[in-house]
Amino acid sequence: MALPDSPASPATRQAKRPMARYFLTNEFGLAALIVLFAVLFGVTAQGFLSPFNLFALGRTASINIMIGLAMMVVIVTGGLNLALGAIGVCAAIFCGFLIQDAGLAWPLAIVLALALGAALGSINGWITVRSGLHSFIITLATMSIFFGAMIFLTRAQSYRGLPPELTSFGRIKIVEIVSPLLVVTVVVALLLAYLYRLTALGREMLAAGAKAEAAELSGVRVGRVFIICHMLSGAIAAVAALMLTARNGAAIPSMAGQLGQDWLLPAFLAPVLGGTLLTGGRVSVLGTCLGAFLVTMLTSGLLLMQIGEFWIQSFLGLLLLAAVLIDKSRRMLLDRSKLS
Amino acid sequence: MSRVTRVLACAGLALSVGSTAVLAADDSKFALVPGGPHPYFSAWEQAGKDAARDFGLAAADYKVPQKWELSQQNQLLESLLSQGYNGFLIFPGDSVGTGSTAAELVANGAPVIAGAGCLQDPSDAAFCLGTDTGNSAYLGTKQLIGALGDSKRIVHFTGFLVDPNTQLRIDAVQRAADEAGAQVVQVIADIDAPEPAEEKINAYLAAHAGEVDGIITTAWVPAVVAANALRKIGDKRIKMVGIDHDEVVLQAIKDGFVTGTMLQNPYGQAYIGAFALDKLRSGCTVKQDAPLMANALTAKFIDSGTAFVGADGVDNYVDAMRAATKALFDTFEATYLTCQ
Repeated sequence: MALPDSPASPATRQAKRPMARYFLTNEFGLAALIVLFAVLFGVTAQGFLSPFNLFALGRTASINIMIGLAMMVVIVTGGLNLALGAIGVCAAIFCGFLIQDAGLAWPLAIVLALALGAALGSINGWITVRSGLHSFIITLATMSIFFGAMIFLTRAQSYRGLPPELTSFGRIKIVEIVSPLLVVTVVVALLLAYLYRLTALGREMLAAGAKAEAAELSGVRVGRVFIICHMLSGAIAAVAALMLTARNGAAIPSMAGQLGQDWLLPAFLAPVLGGTLLTGGRVSVLGTCLGAFLVTMLTSGLLLMQIGEFWIQSFLGLLLLAAVLIDKSRRMLLDRSKLS
Repeated sequence: MSRVTRVLACAGLALSVGSTAVLAADDSKFALVPGGPHPYFSAWEQAGKDAARDFGLAAADYKVPQKWELSQQNQLLESLLSQGYNGFLIFPGDSVGTGSTAAELVANGAPVIAGAGCLQDPSDAAFCLGTDTGNSAYLGTKQLIGALGDSKRIVHFTGFLVDPNTQLRIDAVQRAADEAGAQVVQVIADIDAPEPAEEKINAYLAAHAGEVDGIITTAWVPAVVAANALRKIGDKRIKMVGIDHDEVVLQAIKDGFVTGTMLQNPYGQAYIGAFALDKLRSGCTVKQDAPLMANALTAKFIDSGTAFVGADGVDNYVDAMRAATKALFDTFEATYLTCQ
């Protein structure tokens, strides 16, 4: 029989540690914050739990999550994709052109638009690998090139002659509150989780991002892997843009703002909040999803509470800063627990 | 359910069905929503307060998206609907992209009027109440050419290329120049924000001031920056016609650095827009034979008025705007609406 104040046996410590580690994860922290704020907004913000608001919240979150995932798959390599908004808009406009002007069937147009997104992403990856420069510089340049070319070719015209199958997809309600866009996002997130957890390519991506030289020595073709990551980012950005096209009922050049810059804040917030390391090598698909959902929910709740539209941006900035600091504390705690 | 409860429920249901046919004005809660923060719309706030007081509305609140982003505006509109706002005057963040949100608002029983900028047809907006931007640019260019001497070389500073109005303005300026034998030597667009406007206008005038005789500006910020630049240069040889009523532009007109400005009527748009929303909620409809005009975006356009103000009228420009509002308001219901 153990004494009341005796230290726990090694076996008990082993059993408790995974639970303690779980409580220290970003995912648990984000889930707890989501529950906390949901209760807070549900009680204090009029209309937060109304079916329309829940539907709109899910729809907006689904697109923000997708944007976050598009950035996450490049952050894995320790790089960035500032051009993901521009790539997304190019893909959406291309899809609109193929349907409206070229007369293609919409499923084929979507496939070709996704292919264009992947192709533009692979251009980013190829230049990054060949030049040896950081992808921040490369994608900053291609952001202007892709967007400028699109504006030049389309003269900023929108495409709204899209089939109802596509446009109604953004407005359909499943059991009154769920948008089908959310289903698409969940499917893509599950595929990414499968990629990173259960495939050799996913593990190669993580290894190349963690330590490129070591991965190279282990036989990983790091350059090829980096190009695939950028290609994946472009394709996911295209999915996000097509979802936005369904939500807006049209493919419009301004859907991601000037040069696609409107997507950058959600693109950074979601993976960073979710625990994806900016230095590469570690990824959290669930964390990215929860991070994007938390930010979207906070925006919705704060808008409903009428705290002032201009405070929301400050609040989101504070949240990002807090997340980085909390993440640092978490890692310090984990380090200490390993030492003890 | 007890008999008394059933009777009360039936009575409540009957009352609610009856009341939806003709809604009382005092539950009219309207939102006046620009595309983002911009000085042009500051007159909407006072106009909303005046309209709420004059027409007995529950509210006609000016609500600004935190950034000039379509997604931010859409999210704000969805939130306002959840908060119980039941009528919307909207400057579309995108003439096409805002259409689906407007459709959702109307589907939820909230009438929508496009203000200051139009939604592209077909749309669920009752009509568009704004400035005929092409005509304003055309008239302003004519005024500028009239102030020039024999040499007629014009530079055109204008707004964002993703705004379809920008292309209309560019075309209108070119048309007016062609008709008068003037030459548009340069169009500088994408500068309706302080930073790009300062950078590009000052750089252009530093390098090419001697090669132009006139400046036409068709967006608020470029008008302010160009007026300041001409004051700094101190050379009144270059003539300029601006747009809107910023204090910098008005003072430059008084001091002789700017020939004049094309006034728009933002106050009238919001005041009459709130009045019309109230009428639409009360069961009025837009007349089948209303004298709606057509522009490049819609066939449901109502001109809120535009006027050129030069040095002789700059001290009384408010009177010009009030006169335009009064003229439109006095005949609005009889001209455009059918009420039971």
